[in-house]
Amino acid sequence: MNRHKLTKTLLPALAVLALAACQTNSPVVGDGSVSYGDAKAVEAVTTDLGSTDIQTTAETMTRSLLQHPVIQTAIRRRELLVASPVQNKTSEYFDTSLITDTILAQLQKNGMRYVVEGANMQNQVDELRRQNQSGLYKKSTTAKIGGMHGAKFRLDGSVSSITKKNNSMKDVYYKINLRLIEIETGIVEWSDEKEIRKSAKR
Amino acid sequence: MKKSFLAATFLGLCVLALPLQAQVTGDGSIASKVESLGEMANLKVSDLRVVARRDGLLRVQVTITNESSANEQLYYRFRWLDNDGLVVWEEEPWKPEVVYGLQSKILTGIAPTFQATDFRLEVQSPNNSVTSNPPPGSIIRQ
Repeated sequence: MNRHKLTKTLLPALAVLALAACQTNSPVVGDGSVSYGDAKAVEAVTTDLGSTDIQTTAETMTRSLLQHPVIQTAIRRRELLVASPVQNKTSEYFDTSLITDTILAQLQKNGMRYVVEGANMQNQVDELRRQNQSGLYKKSTTAKIGGMHGAKFRLDGSVSSITKKNNSMKDVYYKINLRLIEIETGIVEWSDEKEIRKSAKR
Repeated sequence: MKKSFLAATFLGLCVLALPLQAQVTGDGSIASKVESLGEMANLKVSDLRVVARRDGLLRVQVTITNESSANEQLYYRFRWLDNDGLVVWEEEPWKPEVVYGLQSKILTGIAPTFQATDFRLEVQSPNNSVTSNPPPGSIIRQ
């Protein structure tokens, strides 16, 4: 009886020990309370605009742009694009450049060229001034002032939302609208919308 | 002479206007293109069309049919490959989609790059079942 009990408790313990001996250490520092997740997973933590919304919006818009003849011609002719700041008309805070930066990066992988946008212009101007006015650089290697290229197209848009609440649920409807505008003429050559509905129980 | 030239031009234009059928590697069946994480219990891929237009972008249209009367949640994403089967684009985000009871829903995918000539569709549904105990991380072809 006693022997039977011993085998019943000892054997599994030994098996666990043997298995533990087989495991290798992961190259991780930490007590296990922090972990890395899938950046492409569907994020449904709150009804606020989240990573999945940003990713799917940028994806939809890029694919829509890419199949438009104006963009395909612009890629062939090496015409330039610039991103204007996308207006955030919703009540929550988020950085709209998350959307436009991804769109520009994905278009560039297909050969589209774009120029520095207004928000990042200061760094560009600083560098040009440093090269030309500091007197530190060899004349033959400095980038000349007055040689920057102007874009032919401008990407613009807005994000709006409608929020509805009652005792049992909250519903948020987002609409992201993007437009491609020819700068010289002001003609909107392309526009597209992405709609997102997020609901939560209260 | 003039008539035959006109006819030839017309025929040429007709051929140009036709969409080019994409080169589909493998047996070209739905099963070879769809990778399901577990066995889809109620949602079925009922139709799949692939077309590469003259601009060189691959376009995919998938019909998902919900065979149950309850709403089903679907998560899907495409993986874009070149002629050699190499991945030509980063992982897409998973996309959530609700398919109502007995509804057939059309999902469309446009290749993110001109290099893509083939694709795989990854699908997952919370109601997916796992039969015959496959090893963890394995993919069951639907």
